Amino acid sequence: MSGEGRLSGHVLILGSIVASLLLVGAYLAAGGSSYEPKQVQDPCQPREWSDPQTLAQIANQFTNSALDGAACQLGVSRETLARALATPEARERFTERYGIDDEKLARAVRAGLLRAVDDAEEAGALSPLLAAPLRRALEEIPLDQAIEIINDAQGFLGDVEGFLGPAKGIIEQLLPGGLGGLGLP
Amino acid sequence: METSVRPRVAALALAVGLVLADSSIVVLALPEIYRELDTSVSGVTWVLVSFNLVIALAAVPAALVARRVGPGRAAAVGLAIFAGAGLACGLADELSTLIVARCLQALGGALAVTAALELLPATVGSERRATAVWASAGATGAALGPAIGGFLTELVSWQSVFLLQVPIALAAAVPILAVAKHEMATRVIERELRRTGRPHLWANLALAMVSAAIAAALFLLVLLLIEGWRLSPIEAALVVSVMPLAAIIGSRLTNLVPDSRSRAAAGAILVSGGLAGLAFLPKATIALTLPPQILVGIGLALVLSALTETALGGRAPQAIHGGWTIASRHAGVVLGLLVLTPIFTADIEQQRREAIDAGTAVILDSSVNPLLKIDVAEKVSERLEEEQGKVPTIEPAFEPKPTDPVERSEVEQLQGELQDQLDRGATHAFSTSFILAALLGLIALFPIALSRRVDL
Repeated sequence: MSGEGRLSGHVLILGSIVASLLLVGAYLAAGGSSYEPKQVQDPCQPREWSDPQTLAQIANQFTNSALDGAACQLGVSRETLARALATPEARERFTERYGIDDEKLARAVRAGLLRAVDDAEEAGALSPLLAAPLRRALEEIPLDQAIEIINDAQGFLGDVEGFLGPAKGIIEQLLPGGLGGLGLP
Repeated sequence: METSVRPRVAALALAVGLVLADSSIVVLALPEIYRELDTSVSGVTWVLVSFNLVIALAAVPAALVARRVGPGRAAAVGLAIFAGAGLACGLADELSTLIVARCLQALGGALAVTAALELLPATVGSERRATAVWASAGATGAALGPAIGGFLTELVSWQSVFLLQVPIALAAAVPILAVAKHEMATRVIERELRRTGRPHLWANLALAMVSAAIAAALFLLVLLLIEGWRLSPIEAALVVSVMPLAAIIGSRLTNLVPDSRSRAAAGAILVSGGLAGLAFLPKATIALTLPPQILVGIGLALVLSALTETALGGRAPQAIHGGWTIASRHAGVVLGLLVLTPIFTADIEQQRREAIDAGTAVILDSSVNPLLKIDVAEKVSERLEEEQGKVPTIEPAFEPKPTDPVERSEVEQLQGELQDQLDRGATHAFSTSFILAALLGLIALFPIALSRRVDL
């Protein structure tokens, strides 16, 4: 081979170092080392309620509070419990894995629902007049129904409103905030 | 070259390409084998490890055997064993059977490849030309292996990757049989073995380190693409084809820089740089894997040819020293896989759990209608159950989409966020392994610095 067009070894090494540093530098600058999975919050810490305007928004926060409360009692994350309650099969796997019987799960889910009522009341989304009977009803609710409420908080809160609807006028006369806190028309 | 010699050269090149492709051809079939034989990531890794380990251990003894019994006979017998074992691999319905058959394939392969290096000088007329034919056949096989494996796996089955090797190996053996018959008839077997020089320690050590890094690059990238980002084998094959294409460009640089130590050092730096790039991918996007692959591809072309040249330069007989380079390269592959597999297996599991929790948090915190949210959560939970131990495919959990435009947009946004969490989690799971592989490449710089080519 002729010497023409030959590269010096040092140039090749320097070029390799520059190319490697440029690539790694560009990727790091673009956030290549910044990945952090969305952090899972401690369910025993209070979760802030934003200002819910609609029944769907209230139901969302009610569900989250209920899951937090139940997860806190069971010593698992809200996310783990949410997946466990999604289907009967998932629930069975969860209770087996964590050695939790149905009674313990029922107590935890009820406690979660009570925390959701407390949080809703504190955030002004649920009138105290509704909160009190709700608490009494939830204290003895069977496990399947309790899970159903978490899974369909919107339907549950809608039913509560429907059931108490006729009394709405009277309640509003008795309480300045009335049912307005439920975000319903 | 005489016309009568051409089929024999082609057959020898085919044999070398076929055997050395076998180290990488199976990489894209591994996820499919993993699913079909119901094994673990660590278990399926042994399909690769067993082959490379046996080749590493058998290469030098095989070269000695080839010189003792005659390279023609050794190559023909080696190819026959390789073909028979390939058939057994294709028919295997258990991981243990597959691994045993892979070991036999490696034994036959080691015999065929080292015997080919012994036969080539007499066939092509010079030792230098023989080394060139041998090296390019091996590089072509190794480069084309993943792509061919990916296409066969998706279009036919993982078994076809092995079954197709049977007729090819037998076809390669036919012209070599004539050499074997000639050896038998003329008894031109070199029974007085020449005293062989010591292998080039530093060049072979560097080859092992760099091969560990390169094997890790290919294996980890394929797993990331198929298991992490859920690409099909063909798609993954197309993506990883960038590496051999870049290697072709890199081989042109080989001719421009005469100093083999500089080429080896530059190659090792590029391989490490590319691996570090793969460790710090800012997004789970195929395009972002291309620049690192280009660096790895150019780097491997530079470093492998330079180190092989250094290891063989001035040393005789070529078959034995070729055997040492094969042993080093395959031992490096084994080292890379054995060191990195437990690390990334543990990382994948941890990242999977974190990504799933993060994904669930994204669903729970979203503003999507609660009933839709619960429906999605249920379906995602089902997907997790179906694809246990893997990153789930979540698209089906979001079907059918709501008809209301506002709800639809919210659901699509939620799907995007969830997918992003899972993809970034899967990508991040490979980071530590890619960094360690990059370090292996950098460690190779020490033996490279100490290596010096000896031309006698």
